[in-house]
Order: sequence, then structure tokens, then C-alpha cells
Amino acid sequence: MLSTFNDALNSDRFIVTAEVAPPKGTDISATLEDADLIRGWVDAINITDNQHAVMRMSPVVVGKLLMDAGHEVIVQFTCRDRNRLALQSDILAASVLGIRNLCVMTGDYPTKGDHVGAKPVYDLDSVQLLSLITKMMDGHDMAGNELAGAPSFTIGAVSNTEAARRMQMIKLKKKIDAGAQFIQTQAVYDVEGFGEFMDSFTHPDVPVIAGIIPLRSAGMARFMNGNVPGIRVGDELISRMEDAEDPVQEGLEIAAESIRELRKMCRGVHMMPIGGNSNTPKLLEMAGISALQ
Amino acid sequence: MIISSSKPFSEILDMLMDKESVFIIGCSVCAAKQHVGGEPEVEEMSSNIKDAGVNVIGGVVAKAACSVRSREYLEELAPKIKDADAVLVMACGSGTSNIARFVDVDVYPANNTESLGAMAGDKIIHHLCAMCGQCTIAEFGGVCPTAQCPKELLNGPCGGSMDGKCEVDPEKDCAWELIYERLERIGRLDLLDEVRDAKDRLVK
Ligand code: SF4
Ligand code: SF4
Repeated sequence: MLSTFNDALNSDRFIVTAEVAPPKGTDISATLEDADLIRGWVDAINITDNQHAVMRMSPVVVGKLLMDAGHEVIVQFTCRDRNRLALQSDILAASVLGIRNLCVMTGDYPTKGDHVGAKPVYDLDSVQLLSLITKMMDGHDMAGNELAGAPSFTIGAVSNTEAARRMQMIKLKKKIDAGAQFIQTQAVYDVEGFGEFMDSFTHPDVPVIAGIIPLRSAGMARFMNGNVPGIRVGDELISRMEDAEDPVQEGLEIAAESIRELRKMCRGVHMMPIGGNSNTPKLLEMAGISALQ
Repeated sequence: MIISSSKPFSEILDMLMDKESVFIIGCSVCAAKQHVGGEPEVEEMSSNIKDAGVNVIGGVVAKAACSVRSREYLEELAPKIKDADAVLVMACGSGTSNIARFVDVDVYPANNTESLGAMAGDKIIHHLCAMCGQCTIAEFGGVCPTAQCPKELLNGPCGGSMDGKCEVDPEKDCAWELIYERLERIGRLDLLDEVRDAKDRLVK
């Protein structure tokens, strides 16, 4: 029988999660294929929620389809697109469809995506949404009404990993106090900086799963440094990428080295490869992580 | 102060193109201070519209467009307004709407109303208050995240701020950066530890 993500969190195993995006359109095949590439390699698959504010299929529905195909899923919930009524409806829907894990985040602003004129909702922030899910699991909706059947989830949240950003660290603590049981992070390239983050993390008992995005070129690294908040690729890595004959392979090497280091510092890694998971099993093997039983 | 900016003249002209007698009303409060509805702007607007071939029968600057209290008051202030078939208001949206309560012809806005803010000299400071109707600004040291953070986040920043700037507009400081700095300065960082509940959105 498939073990749940919660079982993995409660084990002493190094955890691997990976991201899969819903389709833009009704053709689900590419999403199912991407998930199949990592079958047996990951403890759970995160399904993104209109990621980067680009419209795609509902992650709740994709979560159900992937569960039917035998995958354990973590459905992401952003605060951008739904008010408190719609969020609660979808939380109940996710529960009744058998989805066991949610991961909550604020969500990129609509102007970052492909429907720049969309109304930004943000009725709740991520801390408030975590509190709400906790309250629903206790059998009540946000207004205090009793639920006929309470949902049950393992809930997580996200974080950047810069210890110096004190306000981010305060918010992270609030997320955990509001019920977050695991934390998935932005992509880590600065392993030392990540160590400082772990040192200043107030809840050593809460599993931290470090984000990994394999580099594909030096240009990608520079682009991320200039444009992606919370990511810092050091000069040394950029020159390695520049000098590499096969930059994609070099990016995987770098990621594998990071994973080996991160393994000593946190509970798991979260793979967010650009363009799908075709290299994910290979990368995990390079990092010395074997497939699950 | 209510922050507004002038609409492009071509847009104003399009609205008035088929009118025969336009009357212009400015406002001597916020719009005048921002040079989008004071005496000189009303005069300039009047001559520009005339130059474009549309008849303007007069103009006046109300003491405050939002406190015009009756049709009689308006007609006393500007008797010619009775003959107008269109009124162009150079004020904020609330001033324009208030004027519309007292005239029975088309009322057109000359300005786009943008936010509740302030002016420091000639510099306009946007989004200081979003008029939520339940002021909790003291919890944030006087920097309101409902107004200054595009995501209205009450418990800390999103992951999108970069170098202290906002994900949504890199020209703008992240509201949470400002809140932190301000609370540090006044020795009230303790306020940040509190979890803030979602606001009831009762006021619309
Ligand atoms: S909390 Fe903010 S938006 Fe609400 S009234 Fe106070 S300053 Fe205005
Ligand atoms: S960067 Fe700061 S101000 Fe901008 S949306 Fe995020 S938290 Fe709000």
C-alpha cells in the first residue's frame, strides 16, 4: 500500500517531494506523464496553483486525478484567487476527494502572470489561511458554524531561506504557530546561507524541505539572481556553469552536491525543475538517494 | 488628500465631442493642490476645449467639489451652469459624483482618482490609507499594510520582495520593510509577534 506523506514526515527517512504543474487546457496527459517520471522516487508530488499567476487547471482536481493514478499529492493553495468562501469550499472539496496534504502560500501578484487585469483577492493571508484550515479540521468554518464532517490534512507552508530577513523569519514562526506541519523552501544554492537559516529557525521539530532547481545555464543563474526573490546563486557556481561543456549536466552535478550537503541539515528536498521532471530520477541517483520501495 | 491625475486630453475631448455647451467645475482643495483642478487648470482646460472646436460656456472653481450642498448653491456660484448640456468636473471621483447629484445633464470626469495619500512639496505619496473602515494602523506603527501592500498582508511580507522593494512595483518600497523599520525605530518590534486576524470586508 502507498504510504502517506505524513508517514514519511514521521519516519526518519530523507524526504523527497517534487513539483508537477496542471495543464493549461483539458489535456491532462503531459501532467500524468511528468508525474509518472518520478513514480517511486518521491514521497509526494506538489501540484501548483495557477503558479506565477498563469491560469491552469484547478490543482484540487489534478490532485484527485494523480491520486487515482497512484500518486501521493500535496495540493498547493494560494491566497490570490479565492475569497474565504471559495477557499473553504475548495478545502472541503479537496478533503472529500481524498487529498491528504495541502501547502499554503500567498501567491504571485496577477501582474506577474498571463491575466494581468485579474482582480487580486488576498482576502486572507497565508497565516490566516493556515489558521482557517486548522479551525476547519477542528470542525468549524471561519464564521464559527459547525461543519457536518471535518476535513483532515497534513498542512504545510513555504519560506525563503534568508536568515537576515527578520520579517520573513517572524512570519515563518507565525505560520508554524498557525498550524504548518512542514515547510518547503525557495530554491537553495547557497548551502552555507541555508545553514544560517536553519540555525535561526525557531522550530527544529518542524520538517524543512529545501527547494532544488537544477541550473541549466549560466544565463539562467544570472536571470534568477536579478529577478527571482529569495534566490542567490554565488559567483563560483556561475563560473562553473560558464566553463561547463555540458551545462545541463553541470547543473545536475551542482544540484547533487547541494542535496548531499542539505541532507545533513534538513529533512528533505523539494524538486522544482524547469520544464518537467525528466532529469529528476537521474539527479536523485547522482545525489545518492535511491528509489523508494 | 485624495490623489488624482489628469486624464489624457484626447479622452476628455472624446467625451465632449457632441456637446454644445460645456461647463467646467474645478475644486480648490486636493485637485488644486495637485494642479489638476485649480483656477489655472480650469482656464487652460477651457481654452484647450474651445481650441478643439467644442463650445465652453463657463467655468468655476468650487471651494470643495465634495462639499457642494445643493443645486441652488451651485447655481448661485455659477448661474450659467443652467444652460450647460454637459459638466466637466476637474476634481476627484467623490467630488464628481457629488456634483452629479445636483445637475440634470451628463457629468464627465477630467481626472482619474487614484488613492488616498499625501503631498510632500510637489512629491505625491500614494496609498497611505485604503479606507477600510476599521482602522488598525497603530498595530503597524502607522504604516498601513492594507493600503501600502498590494496583497494587503497583515502578518508579514510575501516572498516576492527583492532588495526591500515590492514584487508588484519595484519602484516602491515593500510595505513590510517600512513597517519593520518604523517599529524598530520606535522600539515596538513586539507588535510584530501578534497574529493579526483577517479584516471583515464590510465597508464597500
Ligand atoms: S487600517 Fe489602513 S486602510 Fe484601514 S482606515 Fe486605517 S489606514 Fe486606512
Ligand atoms: S513585496 Fe511587500 S508590499 Fe509588495 S506585495 Fe509583497 S509584502 Fe506586499
